[in-house]
Amino acid sequence: VIALLLAVGLILTGAGAALALRRYPRLADRSYAGLLLSGCTLGVARSIMVLRGGPAVMVTLPGSLPGGAWMFGLDPLSAWFVVLVLGVGACAAVFGLGYMAPEREHRFVGGAHALLALLLVALVGVVTAQAMVPFLAAWEVMALSAYLLVMFEYQRADVRRAGLIYIVLTHLSTLALIGMFAALAANSGGHSFAELGQGNQAPGTARTLALTLALVGFGIKAGAVPVHFWLPGAHAAAPSHVSAVLSGVMLKVGIYGLLRILSLVGGAPAWLGWTLFGVGLGSGILGVLWALAQHELKRLLAYHSVENIGIILLGLGVGTLGMTYHRPGVAVLGFSGALLHSLNHALFKSLLFLGAGSALRATGTGIIDELGGLARQLPWTAVAFGVGSVAIVGLPPLNGFVSEWVVFRALFAAGPSPEPLRFAVIGVAGLGLIGALALACFSKLDGMVFLGSRRVHESSSLPAHDPAASMLVPMLVLAGACIAIGVLPGLVLEPARAIAISVTHATETEVSAYGTASGDAARISTLGLGLFALSGALLLLRRSAGGLAAPRRAPTWGCAAATATSRMQYTASSYAAPLLAAFGPVAGVREHREANAYRSHPADPVQDDAVLPAWRSLKRWSDRLRGIQGGRLRWYLLSVVFTLLALLYYLANARRMP
Amino acid sequence: VTIGPLLTLLLVLALAPAIPGIATRTRALLTGRRGAPVLQLYRDLAKLARKNVVYSRTSTPVFRLGPVLVVATTLMAAVLLPLDGHTALLSFSGDLVAFTGLLGLGRFALVLAGLDTGSSFEGMGASREVTVSAFAEPALFLCFTVLVLASGEVSLAGMLGERLAAVWPVAAPSLVLAAAALFMLALAETSRVPVDDPATHLELTMIHEVIVLDHSGPELALILFGNALKLALFGALVVSVLVPRGLLSPWLAVLVLVAGLAVVAAAVGIVEASMARLRMNRVPQFLVAASALAVFGVILLLR
Repeated sequence: VIALLLAVGLILTGAGAALALRRYPRLADRSYAGLLLSGCTLGVARSIMVLRGGPAVMVTLPGSLPGGAWMFGLDPLSAWFVVLVLGVGACAAVFGLGYMAPEREHRFVGGAHALLALLLVALVGVVTAQAMVPFLAAWEVMALSAYLLVMFEYQRADVRRAGLIYIVLTHLSTLALIGMFAALAANSGGHSFAELGQGNQAPGTARTLALTLALVGFGIKAGAVPVHFWLPGAHAAAPSHVSAVLSGVMLKVGIYGLLRILSLVGGAPAWLGWTLFGVGLGSGILGVLWALAQHELKRLLAYHSVENIGIILLGLGVGTLGMTYHRPGVAVLGFSGALLHSLNHALFKSLLFLGAGSALRATGTGIIDELGGLARQLPWTAVAFGVGSVAIVGLPPLNGFVSEWVVFRALFAAGPSPEPLRFAVIGVAGLGLIGALALACFSKLDGMVFLGSRRVHESSSLPAHDPAASMLVPMLVLAGACIAIGVLPGLVLEPARAIAISVTHATETEVSAYGTASGDAARISTLGLGLFALSGALLLLRRSAGGLAAPRRAPTWGCAAATATSRMQYTASSYAAPLLAAFGPVAGVREHREANAYRSHPADPVQDDAVLPAWRSLKRWSDRLRGIQGGRLRWYLLSVVFTLLALLYYLANARRMP
Repeated sequence: VTIGPLLTLLLVLALAPAIPGIATRTRALLTGRRGAPVLQLYRDLAKLARKNVVYSRTSTPVFRLGPVLVVATTLMAAVLLPLDGHTALLSFSGDLVAFTGLLGLGRFALVLAGLDTGSSFEGMGASREVTVSAFAEPALFLCFTVLVLASGEVSLAGMLGERLAAVWPVAAPSLVLAAAALFMLALAETSRVPVDDPATHLELTMIHEVIVLDHSGPELALILFGNALKLALFGALVVSVLVPRGLLSPWLAVLVLVAGLAVVAAAVGIVEASMARLRMNRVPQFLVAASALAVFGVILLLR
């Protein structure tokens, strides 16, 4: 307990240092980084102790705070997410020091650093809160500090718009969660999670309502389709290291919330499982399809978060169905897949956002079709970004493969079950499609941004170079974690499985038929190491081949065309076009054809075709009520009188009822 | 690790370059030509291995890593298959995900190596390659789903081994549908007619050939060998599903595999002789048809 409080204290002190030492930027940066890093290390170390079987801790804040006892606890489920928050948060914060340095002249950078530290503390609060009121309080601090960070470049109109959509949606989410807790509290004696869970073990109207609201509230926060549309704008508008925390970590509190509520009420009705399953498949496929259509680096990455949340929700859905239909083996596989993919996505998505930030700082643009050939100028960024790409596509031998493999196993394990659970096996085709589309998308991104040559006119391409060590090291640490988990999956498989067992309240014997994961982990290690060894051997063997001793350099073969210019390269838009065309209107590409020009731009079908039109018609209808507010006092008085009369009438009737 | 699977793997590696040779020869004979010798690819590989390489000035180490990863991933995928009909060198539950993942990594490396040259032709080929694979991957997973549901096993060695022979009489319709879908996928994954035409000579109509336009010498040899090996692996999948070898003696099982691979190669040649390649925008429909076959197989088993 002391360790965790100390960690939070250190991070907050770091925030204070960033604020207070405004006059001495170097000192402020150093003390901020030092305090934050030590706090994060301490928190991660304490959480790993809990994950390795140490005792869970619980602390009640002293003093009388409103809303019952303010309880925070660190059980394995919380500890898993604390590792994710503080581990990724520390890398992003350190990267942020170098990333924000050029902004120091015209913006208050210390404030942004302090807000990021506050966001991390709030996230820790959300995943460790063990009662209703502290959970909601931390949730709101998280939402607001994230809003302020998104609005860092508030002078830009598109940033303000993205911030507005974000703040509206995040408050809808908060509203749904308040409703959820109210519904849960109707059946229980207290406000702590344990009491809320005890009162809601049996199915009933209140529990159904609570689960529905949980789906909405946590679904918005996680960024699931169709309530994902706040996400791409907000994540693209925020500074890159903040995007890394928002995409990598903040979305995961939605997943944490769903897991926590499922664990508390001890099971879920079938409709919830199937809804999660369907939303997961939909978010996965649509998220990656919309990502493929994007022209801007960070927006593309943000849509990929929708895709990965889809994969996580797919795992959660299968897990929930396993609980409902009493197949603990399937449930444990599904939940461990969701947990593992939450961790892995946090690692590779933050890595990719940091890499995008480093490319953005080096070139000044994030438009994919204006980039190209960065691998020669930013070799280390290209290597880190390449590791992140292979990981996010879910290819062996990196960490994305490990978690997708577990989700696949959950889906396959559903196959031999009785109806209707066995129909879930069809999800493997969807997950296969998601993987293949992600491969298309990241081959486009890597190929167009880092390979070939710059696509804009030569004179505008300034010399670009890798960022300073303070920005490179966090990227390489994250890339190292992706490789480590991919080659040694045993590190994470067992803890995730243990948490999944505790969430499903299953016993070890019930799930033992599905393997203990350690044997499989060893074989995946063999596979990964074998792949590395084989590639290395081939590289060495290649050296001995005669022709490679003196390779000749020549221009790219132009198929008999005279001179190829960099503008003649394939563009990202044409690369993605055949695939998007095959999906038709679902892909959301808007085309503008004129006699001598063609442009295409990506639209979000949910936001641009459904939400905004609905919002505008709502506004039009409510404009008609404006007449009431005409500024004439007597109308106001009259309406006050009528309202009072109506209330009195209501009260009089209500009194009469038994 | 027993010696049986290892020897079979080495045998398949040795025979793989003959498979495109048989297909091309069959096609030539059926269209009234003599065609290249069956063992032509061995000669090509030997020739290319001795040749000099030319690198594009725009290319980076990614270009050189591509061919190496193509062969390494296909080899690792072969390690997961029970080629002798009984066991694989490496097997774990859910290793079929690793099988598709390894092939995916090979494709990723090849596509990036193509894009590394900055050529618009290679960009076009890369774009088509990932489009084809986006439709092929779900179909492959559906074929595996048929096998998982039929055999109750989730490892390649398990679902293509003895269990399959035991359930074959019951699940025959589904398995035949899956084998047909796998054959269609073999054509798509290794760039044969009707998805791609290995004999085409116009860059604008190519898929696979145009990605490797800038590769030369030993590196081109690696890519050609990798593609032949991939065809051998898909052929082995088709043979394993159609002729369950789990109850045969190992020697007989290997003999069946070799004969089966020759038959699959000839079938590829017959398809190439009997139809032209599809228009690019028809290719997704071809692969959706493969998925539909596999879905029928799944439905028959879920009933």
